[in-house]
Amino acid sequence: MRLKASSLEALYALLLLLPFLFTLGVFFLYAFLRAMVFSFTDYNLFDPPRWVGLANYLRLVQDPLFLTALKHSLAYSLIVTTLQTLLALLLALALNRPLRGVTFFRTLYYLPSVVSTAAASLLLLWLFQRTGVVNQGLSFLLGSLPFLALGFVLFALVQGLGVAWWRRRGRALPLLDPGLAWVSLALALLGVYVLVQVGWVRPWEVRVDIPWLTTRTTFLGLPYPLWAIILMNTYTTIPTFMVILLAGLKGIPKTLYEAAALDGASPWVVLTRITLPLLRPVLFLVVTLGLIGTLQLFDQVLFVGGAGGAPLESTITLAYYVYGNVFPPGASPRVGLASAAALVLAGLTLAVVLLQRRFGVGERGWS
Amino acid sequence: MEKARRLWVRLAWAYGLLLAFGVFFVGPFAMGFLASLKANPLEWPFSFRFAQVSPKNWVAAWRLGLEGGGNPWLGGMVPGREVVLEVAYFSPEGQEPTLLAQISRRKPGAGMGAVFETPYAADHVRLEGPVRVEARPAQLGDREGMVYRYRLRLFYPGEGPVLERVPLDLEVPRGVVLVGASLDPTRLERRGRVASWDNVVPGLLGYVFHNYLRAFRETRSLETGESLFLRWTLNSFFLAALKVLTTLIFASMAGYALARMRFPGKHALFLFMLFSMMVPAQVTFISNYLVLKDGIFGLSRLFGVETLLNTYTGLVLSGLVGAGAVFLMKQFFESIPREVEEAALIDGATPLGILFRIVLPMSTPALGALAILTFQGTWNEFFWPLVVLTSPREIYTLPLGLLSFRNAYGQVGDWGLILAGGFLSMIPVLVLFALFQRYFVEGPSLGAVKE
Repeated sequence: MRLKASSLEALYALLLLLPFLFTLGVFFLYAFLRAMVFSFTDYNLFDPPRWVGLANYLRLVQDPLFLTALKHSLAYSLIVTTLQTLLALLLALALNRPLRGVTFFRTLYYLPSVVSTAAASLLLLWLFQRTGVVNQGLSFLLGSLPFLALGFVLFALVQGLGVAWWRRRGRALPLLDPGLAWVSLALALLGVYVLVQVGWVRPWEVRVDIPWLTTRTTFLGLPYPLWAIILMNTYTTIPTFMVILLAGLKGIPKTLYEAAALDGASPWVVLTRITLPLLRPVLFLVVTLGLIGTLQLFDQVLFVGGAGGAPLESTITLAYYVYGNVFPPGASPRVGLASAAALVLAGLTLAVVLLQRRFGVGERGWS
Repeated sequence: MEKARRLWVRLAWAYGLLLAFGVFFVGPFAMGFLASLKANPLEWPFSFRFAQVSPKNWVAAWRLGLEGGGNPWLGGMVPGREVVLEVAYFSPEGQEPTLLAQISRRKPGAGMGAVFETPYAADHVRLEGPVRVEARPAQLGDREGMVYRYRLRLFYPGEGPVLERVPLDLEVPRGVVLVGASLDPTRLERRGRVASWDNVVPGLLGYVFHNYLRAFRETRSLETGESLFLRWTLNSFFLAALKVLTTLIFASMAGYALARMRFPGKHALFLFMLFSMMVPAQVTFISNYLVLKDGIFGLSRLFGVETLLNTYTGLVLSGLVGAGAVFLMKQFFESIPREVEEAALIDGATPLGILFRIVLPMSTPALGALAILTFQGTWNEFFWPLVVLTSPREIYTLPLGLLSFRNAYGQVGDWGLILAGGFLSMIPVLVLFALFQRYFVEGPSLGAVKE
């Protein structure tokens, strides 16, 4: 009787799970196993696959394009994950206080993460054109260096005089007293404005003309177009991770901070001794999600590399290498090679997860 | 006193920082949007003051659209109407300059838009003028001279087609400068000697959002002539709605089984599901492509369909329910107290009855979040549709459409159109975000940081 009830339950479970099992079985398990088999064969989608053993993997190691793609993927992944984790952490720390209207700002910051990679890529392309806003912004920044330098000097002057004046009146202000700094900043800006109006300082004539996209030139070993993608993607992914970190920060017990305040701990000590250690699990999660996400970079390669865009070798990633070998323009598909590269990509991803399991905390979800 | 000072200072720093971050995160989008209104988004230096943001031009565009076609929003010109445009030129010489005005024969744009035959306004609309209405001495900079004001009358006699655009070119001798016009020209060419209007009867939307209208009007199917961009948008809506539906149903079913029922291999299935969420789509797409190509092991042939490539059936079947969605529902169901279901179980309800009658009605928050996240995911999805949907272009979704946009117009540098397409594609997600931002913001952390 009992056995019947439990097998009935299993039957119901099977019924409920059927659509999911279909998707998981046909479009994941079968596909994954098939990719493994393909990686040991020579296959062009039309003729039957021919077993070649490890030849595809050997060909990969000798293919300069694959090595470029691997290098790009790894570098992109490491750089973007580092940047976005650090910046998201800074942002989360800044937002994690009881300020009025902080939810509004949080929503505002989330905006770049909502749009599609396609739309974001179009914006990226426009920003990084030769006469685009990035080059114009850099030109403007370099051109106004005299103003910036002047402003800095004026600020230091006013701040120094202010501090000295207060100290003579018996108030021991620190050199960078924030209250005085606002006043000094305002005065410095006013000073610069007046001097510009009088005509004492002029902007420099600078025209930054970096061809960000249509170039093979490299900077720190990576091509310019890839740097453009790095900048843009860091920008669009920060908010997502900021939100996860914020949720983590909310989970740290308030009592710890109260105790630290009683002991008179400095903000730096609170950050390094309380916040970061307790945030470690969430930080690991963020790093893992970041690495997994960045390893799959694909859409931007296609958008940036389109007609009149970046040359393929400057932007190619592992994911694009796989796609490009299955649907090569004007050649027959190299499915075996593509599958082998895909498994390298999967291996990298799994290695990241295993590392997280090893050093991070165990049973937590991915979503 | 000292305490209050410190508080204010800290608040000032905190809000200053928040504002700076705000500028950083919204700035590029705001600049891009402004640029998408311009005739030349790559103008150097970038200016925040241009014709499309001037209220004077809004009023003029409204009036001209109303006079020309009876449509103050989208403009156009119909037979029997006439419009009047005034321009003012500064001339440093002592004599009146000669103005050459003509309704030009120009194609509306490059790329796909250039292929279609549209009626030329030059064949139907007559131009009268320029007639001088005023001349007065004036000074421009440190130059003495005269300002001449002219009136141009455009009228459309007899019968004929409705014209979407009436372009106009005005050429003046060297040294003569345009100082005013009832509607600012779209662009100045040949060192300011030629002022050219893409449309003198634009209507308010047609003037301010001319690139957006072009995205709809110029991107048309070569066979049927219908607007491709509109079609892609509808496709995306249709597909997203379908995906939301299947995901809601099947994810709650599977999530419920995993959360509440006992069956052999449950833990293994759960682990396998997590594993499947980590493997990149590029690993599995080759086999999935082949599976769809022969109609899921030939099963689709039973319904008379040879292949599921280039069909929405294939796209939906291959993504009936994502592992992430199942995971989210499982986590939610586990948070519901068991007692609710046990009472129903004693009353003799079946598991299916419990799920659909009791648990799901209690789950609207989770279902809402899942619906919105699925919609966003499907709306933005790029890789898998790119593999499955290749031809004809009518079946593309919006992201694929944007790629073909980028390839068609990127080379000719028509960035107004590309940016407009990008921003149009963002609208539905942005509206959803404005309405349900809580779900978006909590989405990534749902289940991720659950103790």
